[in-house]
Amino acid sequence: MATKQKIQNAYIDYILTEGNKPISVFAFAKKNKFAEEEFYQYFGSFEAIEAGVWADFFSTTIKEIQNQEVWTTYSVREKALSFFYTFFELLKKQRSFVTYSMSHLKKGLHTPVALKEAKEIFEEFSVQLIQEGLESNEINDRKFISDRYKDALWMQVAFLLNFWIKDRSKGFEKTDEAIEKGVNVTFDLFQRTPIDNLLDYGKFLAQNAGFKMPF
Amino acid sequence: MKEQNSIPASKVARSAKFVGTGFKIGGNYIKHYSKKIFNPDLTRDELNEDNAADIYDSLSQLKGSALKVAQMLSMDKNILPKAYVDKFSLSQYNAPPLSGPLIVQTFRKNFGKTPDKIFDQFDLKSTNAASIGQVHKAELNGEKLAVKIQYPGVGDSISSDLKLVKPFAFRLLGMSEKELDIYMKEVEERLIEETDYELEVENSLKISKACADLPNIVFPKYYKELSGPRIITMSWLEGMHLKEFLQTNPTQELRNKIGQALWDFYNFQQHELRAVHADPHPGNFLITPDGKLGIIDFGCIKELPDDFYYPFFSTTSTDLLANKEETIKAFRALEMILPKDNEQQIEFYYQNYKEMITLFAEPYMSGEFDFSKDEFFNALYGFGEQISKMPEFKQARGVKHFIYVNRTNFGLYNILHELKAKVKTDTYRPHIKTKF
Repeated sequence: MATKQKIQNAYIDYILTEGNKPISVFAFAKKNKFAEEEFYQYFGSFEAIEAGVWADFFSTTIKEIQNQEVWTTYSVREKALSFFYTFFELLKKQRSFVTYSMSHLKKGLHTPVALKEAKEIFEEFSVQLIQEGLESNEINDRKFISDRYKDALWMQVAFLLNFWIKDRSKGFEKTDEAIEKGVNVTFDLFQRTPIDNLLDYGKFLAQNAGFKMPF
Repeated sequence: MKEQNSIPASKVARSAKFVGTGFKIGGNYIKHYSKKIFNPDLTRDELNEDNAADIYDSLSQLKGSALKVAQMLSMDKNILPKAYVDKFSLSQYNAPPLSGPLIVQTFRKNFGKTPDKIFDQFDLKSTNAASIGQVHKAELNGEKLAVKIQYPGVGDSISSDLKLVKPFAFRLLGMSEKELDIYMKEVEERLIEETDYELEVENSLKISKACADLPNIVFPKYYKELSGPRIITMSWLEGMHLKEFLQTNPTQELRNKIGQALWDFYNFQQHELRAVHADPHPGNFLITPDGKLGIIDFGCIKELPDDFYYPFFSTTSTDLLANKEETIKAFRALEMILPKDNEQQIEFYYQNYKEMITLFAEPYMSGEFDFSKDEFFNALYGFGEQISKMPEFKQARGVKHFIYVNRTNFGLYNILHELKAKVKTDTYRPHIKTKF
């Protein structure tokens, strides 16, 4: 009897040694000695396996960091940092798969199929973080823009993934730096900045001082 | 202390930081001169203080090498106006810390475990910032520990950081480009050594063992198994930094004791070990509650090769200086006099270097020396100033070892001066050769 985990492992093993997807589910099942229908009990297609692996990366990371003792003491910014560090630590164990999967992603405006499920998990996580940040005032609430904060964090994921794939430094130290700096900048932008104050001031003048632009 | 919100990301961002400082300093001048309109008595002190604060702010946000340069600049009091110095001295033990998750991550990379799994207790908020890392308090089996953690990527950013500091230091110090290059190269080499924490643990163990018998000196215990390429674990030393110590108005006796310990520590290394802790800035020392000197940082060790040691330290003895011919030979060996110099130049450099070294060696000449004497330091700085104005000295001379050794010894003199200590200088004497 094939289990979900077994099929996943056999599939990863196959693509990493062959460099390609199996020709068909039939061939794949035959090679691994289980019935084709068992495959469909768990996955609709090969893409679904990959998507599952990615989703696991994210959910495992989130579970792990939330179980750390320090988690509750972290600020939102630190929670995000903690996510990224742990995430890439986890990916290290499966770097070949990540490299393979990333290079087979279809580039385009839409989130690739393999990452769709993962993105949902991450978004749920980031919405929680942002909500927490808004409540603690660590993050500034901006009309219309606040809803897009989660996209900024997802962009961070995409950027760092690409950075990590190309990172040749010892122990991926450069990626650590990229995380520390990148996440900090992102959260700096989420915070109240001088631009917010400037806009606020402009609004105040427009409403109260009978202030008219001379042009 | 407030945690640092952002580290300027790329070289561009770092440059922007310096540009920002430039603007601010400009602003400070405007502030100064507009105030001066109303109050003509205003001195430049306030202006200098404003500038120093801004320079410090911007340097400490850059961390790493730039901060190190700030530290080095603050060592030499005669170069910078007092206000700059006071602010820069801050950088010796006060810089904003880095994020908690990164510390956890560094531990995981070095040991495969988070700090709370390794120690019974680990404080994620750092207590001190070392210039290329930070120090955390921890506890294991009832012992208090200090854990030094290095910021990732420091090693890689050294060169580009220094290039950024260069024009800035250039204007601040008014040095010739060539001199500055040697200086910068020295900093670079030292910094790269300093980022090697495994080497530092080796050095610490070696030197603290060799110096174990020196009186009134304590070293922390180093834990090799809890240290790695980016982490050093050592026992926690209680104590005050020099500035805090001086604020407690210590007795002359205590000052002398600390000063003597410092003198013995340095001269034992220079003359017996021939390798010296080459970073005598006040942040590396602690004065313990029982009045001993704690030494907490072995980032940079300078080895003194024989072909430098003998010519240089022999010139601190009157036996050699009395013999002009041999002295010139020693100066040649040190490249203070170059092969292409003509008769006149040889005489000129001989006279000036002789005067300089005689001044430098004054503490060695008698068995005891009182470092509280301003005359000695004024003479030293005065001579330095005079020399810096001579066109003959625009060109850098002397072998590269000088830079380390001068820094070490002038740093030592400076600290002893601040301590106002009277020190027995014949405890560990230089080994002398009179023939070259």
